[in-house]
Amino acid sequence: MSEPVEFFGIIEGGYANVPYAGDRESKTNYIDLPNTFYDPIQGQRGLETQLELLASMERHGLDGAGFTEQHNGPIGLLPNPLLGATWLAARTERMKIFVNGPLMTAYQSPVRLAEEIAIADTISKGRIMIGLPLGLGAQYHALSMNPVEARAKHAEAHDLLVKALREPGPFEWHGKYFDHNYVNIWPRPAHEIEFNMPGGGSAETLELAAKRRYTYQTVLNDRTAMAKVMERFRELCRAEGYEPSNRQSAVVVEIHVAETDAEAKREVEDLLLWNFQNYYEAPAEAKFPPGYTSLSSARGIFASGFSLNTRKMSYQDMLDNNWIVSGSPETVTQKLKELTEVTGAGRVFLGFSMGTKPRWLVEKTLTLFAEQVLPHFRPNGRPLWAEPDYPQHGYRSGLEYSVKRDADAPPPRIVKDGYLVDITKSRFDPEGARIRPWAEPDAR
Amino acid sequence: MTTSGPDFEGRNWEGWTEPTIVDVAGTPTAYRRAGTGETLVYLHPGGGTREWTPLLEKLSRHYDVIAPEHPGFGDTPRGPEQDTWEEFVLHYDGFFRALGLEKFHLVGTSFGSWLAAELAVFYPDRFTTLSLVTPMGVLVEEDPFIDIFRLTPAQEDERMFNGRSYPPAYQETEADAIVQRYYEMTTVAQLAWSPRYDRRLSFRLARYTAPSLVIGVDDDRLLGTGQAATYAGYLPQSTLLTIHGPNGEPSGHGLTIEQPDEVVAAIVAHTSRAS
Repeated sequence: MSEPVEFFGIIEGGYANVPYAGDRESKTNYIDLPNTFYDPIQGQRGLETQLELLASMERHGLDGAGFTEQHNGPIGLLPNPLLGATWLAARTERMKIFVNGPLMTAYQSPVRLAEEIAIADTISKGRIMIGLPLGLGAQYHALSMNPVEARAKHAEAHDLLVKALREPGPFEWHGKYFDHNYVNIWPRPAHEIEFNMPGGGSAETLELAAKRRYTYQTVLNDRTAMAKVMERFRELCRAEGYEPSNRQSAVVVEIHVAETDAEAKREVEDLLLWNFQNYYEAPAEAKFPPGYTSLSSARGIFASGFSLNTRKMSYQDMLDNNWIVSGSPETVTQKLKELTEVTGAGRVFLGFSMGTKPRWLVEKTLTLFAEQVLPHFRPNGRPLWAEPDYPQHGYRSGLEYSVKRDADAPPPRIVKDGYLVDITKSRFDPEGARIRPWAEPDAR
Repeated sequence: MTTSGPDFEGRNWEGWTEPTIVDVAGTPTAYRRAGTGETLVYLHPGGGTREWTPLLEKLSRHYDVIAPEHPGFGDTPRGPEQDTWEEFVLHYDGFFRALGLEKFHLVGTSFGSWLAAELAVFYPDRFTTLSLVTPMGVLVEEDPFIDIFRLTPAQEDERMFNGRSYPPAYQETEADAIVQRYYEMTTVAQLAWSPRYDRRLSFRLARYTAPSLVIGVDDDRLLGTGQAATYAGYLPQSTLLTIHGPNGEPSGHGLTIEQPDEVVAAIVAHTSRAS
């Protein structure tokens, strides 16, 4: 049985006030664009806009909001996305918060990441969803992470992260890359964290996601390629002996809605071209450091002229290849239906802005999406989180706290006047607060 | 247990000779050996494998030359645990034992010179002399940082030969050569991605007290010109020699390819002085 498609709104915090990528010798905006181009005032504007728009997804009626981790450049301003997640957790109540980032291999240990996830999950009352990407090749340059060890280290980091989040501590961990005598995180998360594995179609990632029963999120842009990879993923799930829920299949698409197709083009064409000409531009050496990809992939990438030249793509190319969904509410509704049907995706990440759209324009397109597109998918007018059986974690009131808390938790105690004493009662009932007489352990 | 050796079908490029394979603790290790005289082991740079190069040929007129291929290069596979300098040092200890080598000359170029330096630190009594050619592996604060892992093949050639055009040394098709380069650079990256030097060489090299020769160039645009002098400063009995370029042009990192005669002459002079 297929579940209703879950819609996440994505806002990225791209910082566009930088030189044209094609003008720079190194081209890439992921590694060494000098941060002297960063203006703190402009940066505040970018971060605030990103976070406030993400928070607004809830009142627009989306099921969740999401964003990515980026480093060393203007691609995004949340190198630690859990910090953004805690801000969002405090500003919203119900929607999911999708943190598509943390590069586990960038942490000294994934145990530190588990701690951050647990904080964000506690503050959000169990609304955190985590994407565990391998990290872009350029990020291995940017952060001096060894690309040769990327997959092996990522795999061990995953196993440790999940164990730290889900299993009681303390426990020991003695791996090749991480060694802990006491894995014992405080706080622990408010709910069982959902994981999502983004991938570009590599067999290794597809197999891992299928085996772990996670959502596989294709980061491919072309719809035909998306559909092919999602079908391969579902076959791998079946080979593992289960039929995956459609929620395990996720796609990402850039989206823009305006009154008409022509108006959508007028509003967004140049902004999209900025993205395509500044985000993706990079030599293969920057994107695929040694060891990052298999030799057979390297043959394709380096030897036969690598991938599509996104710098040359026009708005019409993007539409024709379904790299973007843009147009009137009718067009967008139709295209989204096709997208979910063709790919079988039960989770759709809608990229409303990479950071270049003016805030008013994002608000306009979000409003049109919420009021003229979303109703076709939610005829009862309720986001998924407003359904009566939608799971809730944590508590929202003193009443709920007192009912849900663990009544058997030991009360705080002290030793006083020869007795072990419960200090929640000692102030008003000194006799009743006495638990037992206290004898000092023998001095050694 | 028998394992099938590498498939040498189609290896008909200039300089190709079939290597001998010796088992070193489970690693089938490819090496080439020719010449007579005192034994000299040559450790290749981050490429230039699967051939008997002009440099090796010229060395073999003076020495019994042994040129192994490091794990993860050429026809020597690299196991999953062969991922640190120490493992490479232990691999070579095993290789020297497997061939019954006790006392010999050690020469390394570029990446191979770093390996030679580590070996000299751990086995200082084994090598009659040590020669490091256009070396890498020490930190030189004054040199600009050049990211060797972000260079296109064309940029790398430009920096190897300081802008002098040099015919591409493709052994197979260009596509195969690119894949081979990616494979061998993966091994370089495994050991040298971060940090790109061994801080401890600055004090450990004092352990090697036999004569050493460090050959530098006028302008090393790939790894920095300061490497040679810095190495020479750390080695107690060192001679620093700069080989100048052809026709008054600055010599570069590709010295062993561009000027093999001068390199061989310098090594011969060095080892005969030491004997």
